Amino acid sequence: MSTLFDEQVSFLAEDHFLVLYWAAQSEGAGVRYNITNCFDDLKFSGMTRTKQTAMATVAALAALRFVDLRDEGNRKNIYITTHGAKALRQLVLEKAFSPKPSLHLKGIAS
Amino acid sequence: MTIGIGGAGSKIATALNPDATVINVSETELGKIPEAGRRILASLHHAGGQFRGSRKDPEIGREAFQSLRRELSQMARGDLVFSSTGGGTGNGITAALIEELTNLDEEIQPSQKTQFALILPFAKLEPAEFTRNTIAILGGPVSQAIDSGSTGNIFLFSNRLKFESRLREDRFNRMIADSLSVFQAVPEKNDTLGLLDGHIDYEDFAHYISRPFFNHFTYFDYNPSASFAGQLAANPNPLLLPPESPIEALFLLEVPAGGDPTAFYEILEYFAKIDVSPVYSVVENPERTKPFVTVSLLYSRKPAELLDDFNRISDEHTQAKVRKSLEQHIQLPKLEVNLREHAEREAKQRGAGEDVLSVLKRLGKL
Repeated sequence: MSTLFDEQVSFLAEDHFLVLYWAAQSEGAGVRYNITNCFDDLKFSGMTRTKQTAMATVAALAALRFVDLRDEGNRKNIYITTHGAKALRQLVLEKAFSPKPSLHLKGIAS
Repeated sequence: MTIGIGGAGSKIATALNPDATVINVSETELGKIPEAGRRILASLHHAGGQFRGSRKDPEIGREAFQSLRRELSQMARGDLVFSSTGGGTGNGITAALIEELTNLDEEIQPSQKTQFALILPFAKLEPAEFTRNTIAILGGPVSQAIDSGSTGNIFLFSNRLKFESRLREDRFNRMIADSLSVFQAVPEKNDTLGLLDGHIDYEDFAHYISRPFFNHFTYFDYNPSASFAGQLAANPNPLLLPPESPIEALFLLEVPAGGDPTAFYEILEYFAKIDVSPVYSVVENPERTKPFVTVSLLYSRKPAELLDDFNRISDEHTQAKVRKSLEQHIQLPKLEVNLREHAEREAKQRGAGEDVLSVLKRLGKL
């Protein structure tokens, strides 16, 4: 099981890392993080230009049960799961990718 | 004849001359004047009847002037018009009247020129609107009138003495009226008392008061053995604004019966030194025990300089008002800035701050 998990984590790309990271940061700051915010952030970071790609990234993480997608109101909010937290910890400890700022969090904080 | 415009103007005009014509926009105000020769209600287009004044707004006075424009500009010829410069009615109607006289196509004969007695507010203690209105009339119509020479003498009375000595209004009005009576009695005294030297007959006097300058007149017991300059400086008329250096002058010296009439040479010399040739008269007045002199100085101090004081006080009023409204309407919360927290928040915004792992731990995800 741990081998599978390690393999899953090692195949995660930068956009997956960022989505996990931003989702964790938002939950830490007590704000909701939805698909639209996620798309804006990915676009701002230069990871993608289309919503489909952003959707695909989130869908992959959801399929791996690293994030939980919940329909709340007319928004799909992203919540990091314990598996996702472990995956993120691994990526952080390996220093696989460097974090980028979230436009969403910045907008709320400023 | 005398004309009083507005509340203050009417009261002083009737104090000087009970047959004066009084003008107001409010019936209530007109009713407050106990005696008057004629009362004129200047009409306003107001559906609710005219029982209110112009509420310090000169525009209302100017509008009212239109209803009596022709009548007033004819009636004011050769008359003395009293008005305050602070309120709405007096200021508005007088300003419009002065403008009307200034812009006339025909030349006004000296004997037909209108004299004005303007009562200026004591800016320190009277409402800020009074100061503003005064600045407007002195800087505008009065200044133009002096430049164009369209009016006769302008007397600038000041409310300063009233407020500083805490006088009753009727008493103060009476003082102004009495003071003017002394000046206006000059030709009559010249006519009825024994003439010793010079002369100021009615015609000379009428010519003098038709000059388009500010008039500062004063009167005092004259001591021939002391310098005239010192005595004049020590005895200005406290009701009027202080004079500038005179352009023209007039004096009447009354000596007691058997007194020395040559004392007037000292006065003539004083005026010669400042290049003014005064009109003068020396009479014998048996009722006097000491020589008594009535002096009038005509000067044309620029209203711009005159306005300085008013402008300064108006500025102070405004500043104080702004300060007060700031104090009353804006609450500035006390900001307590913790630099460390602030730096952490900034770092978090940049995405580099709080370690994501500690966040996850805090959330119980790890």
